[in-house]
Amino acid sequence: MSLFPVPAPDQIGEPFWAAVAERRLTVQRCPACREWTWQPKPVCPACGSPDLTWEAVSGRATVCSWTTPRPPVLPAFESLVPFVVLLVELDEGVRMVGQLVGDAGDLLRTDGTDVTFSIGTRVTLRWRDQDGQWLPSWAVDR
Amino acid sequence: MNRQAAIVGIGAFPFSKSSGTSEWRMGSLAALEALRDAGLTPRDVDGVFRSTMEATTESAMARGLGIPDVRAFGAVDYGGGGIVPMVSHAALAVESGMAEVVLTWRARVRKSGPRPWMQRGSGGSSDQQHYERVFGIARPVDSTAILARLWAERYNWKPEDLGRIAITIREHARRNPMAMMQRELTMEQYLGSRMIADPLRLFDCCLESDGAVALVLTTAERARDLRPDPAYVTAYAMATGPDSYNISQWYGEPLGRTQGWYAARELWRRTELRPADIDAIQWYDAFTPEVAISFEEYGFCGEGEVMEMLAAGEHAPYNTAGGCMSEAYLHGINLFSEAVRQVRGTSTDQVDGAEHVLVTSGNTTPNGAMILSGSPR
Repeated sequence: MSLFPVPAPDQIGEPFWAAVAERRLTVQRCPACREWTWQPKPVCPACGSPDLTWEAVSGRATVCSWTTPRPPVLPAFESLVPFVVLLVELDEGVRMVGQLVGDAGDLLRTDGTDVTFSIGTRVTLRWRDQDGQWLPSWAVDR
Repeated sequence: MNRQAAIVGIGAFPFSKSSGTSEWRMGSLAALEALRDAGLTPRDVDGVFRSTMEATTESAMARGLGIPDVRAFGAVDYGGGGIVPMVSHAALAVESGMAEVVLTWRARVRKSGPRPWMQRGSGGSSDQQHYERVFGIARPVDSTAILARLWAERYNWKPEDLGRIAITIREHARRNPMAMMQRELTMEQYLGSRMIADPLRLFDCCLESDGAVALVLTTAERARDLRPDPAYVTAYAMATGPDSYNISQWYGEPLGRTQGWYAARELWRRTELRPADIDAIQWYDAFTPEVAISFEEYGFCGEGEVMEMLAAGEHAPYNTAGGCMSEAYLHGINLFSEAVRQVRGTSTDQVDGAEHVLVTSGNTTPNGAMILSGSPR
């Protein structure tokens, strides 16, 4: 069993992780008011529609902020630090966190001082296999 | 409501790295001291409020102390954001007449016990964490670092700016014999301390502590009979704001605003006092950026001006007993004991003639703020 935290989603979030397992990034969207919403919710917080659906997103995003976790971290991450976790804003308008990776989805082992990105840098979705768990991750556009 | 609440008793179990005892016992001893401080006994208590993160229930506390009947009780969530709301529930119970004498407290074996964020297995303890922990955002400091980076880049904060906050709070702690951190903290030591989550260093983080603090509230009328120097509850507020999550402050708009902004707005709506009327502040200070952001969001300076103001020293004294950074980390309830001491005039770092003291809770979760004063409204 993986030492890494693994998602144990409730019924509301299960479709997200089912899509992730097929390497598809989806976000809830309201069929009535067309608003995107993240994290997963039971109904549309914008208009109250009870029928949110999961839609694929473009996989294009912009860096809003980031950090580099250092020890003491969860034991599973000890062999990976330092790495960068980005806060990105998807072109669809929602913000989520994800790891900074190379174009092949490989985790960049860096403290963030030797890579050329900043707030506003454009990034593109890549997929990283974290001990059997696919993770939507982000590579800097060239 | 015509009735006004006042804090009339404070008590503590000494802060340490290892108490060698249980949260129930520490909380009980702190409660007895707070009741003695108020000139009351457990027989007088008829209201009890706790944090949901407190393992000791209201009923366990009551039966342990010999409280005969609890007519008003409840528990408030959100850890360090929930302490002012917890005390607010106590004040509400007093003001509404549901209870006459209310006990509330926080006891922790955080240093010698488990760290909450280390729990294994699932994605985490809350639904929110299933979408953060897998990526390595597991600790409160990780989410706070992402928020700090936003503010630092937007307003050109330098490492020394956050260091000044840590050092200021440490200097207050060094005058307080109860504070866990008594050694001098220099800027060189601050800047040389290791990164925990960039841009936050070790000394940007609060302590891990064992200990307890208890508070006793009653009506202003009864408080005056009990002691000459009650800390009157002048105003209080709670707020979540929209898109409310724990610590992670980036799901809503505008990006960078914390849930403390909403508590601030609600507080000032409930009082005619303004920031210039506040003589001392006890900011929730689990991490240094929370102090800087709070100064701005509570309106003590204009946008982007906080670091300039702090460098110039043109601000009300804050965290005058050492706060969460250097006295003890008990989710911030020790900020209340210090606010009461300032109003009484008995702080180890007393602000001359302190009349109005502001206390806040963690601004990156559902939270609250309260003003304690030396005179009734």
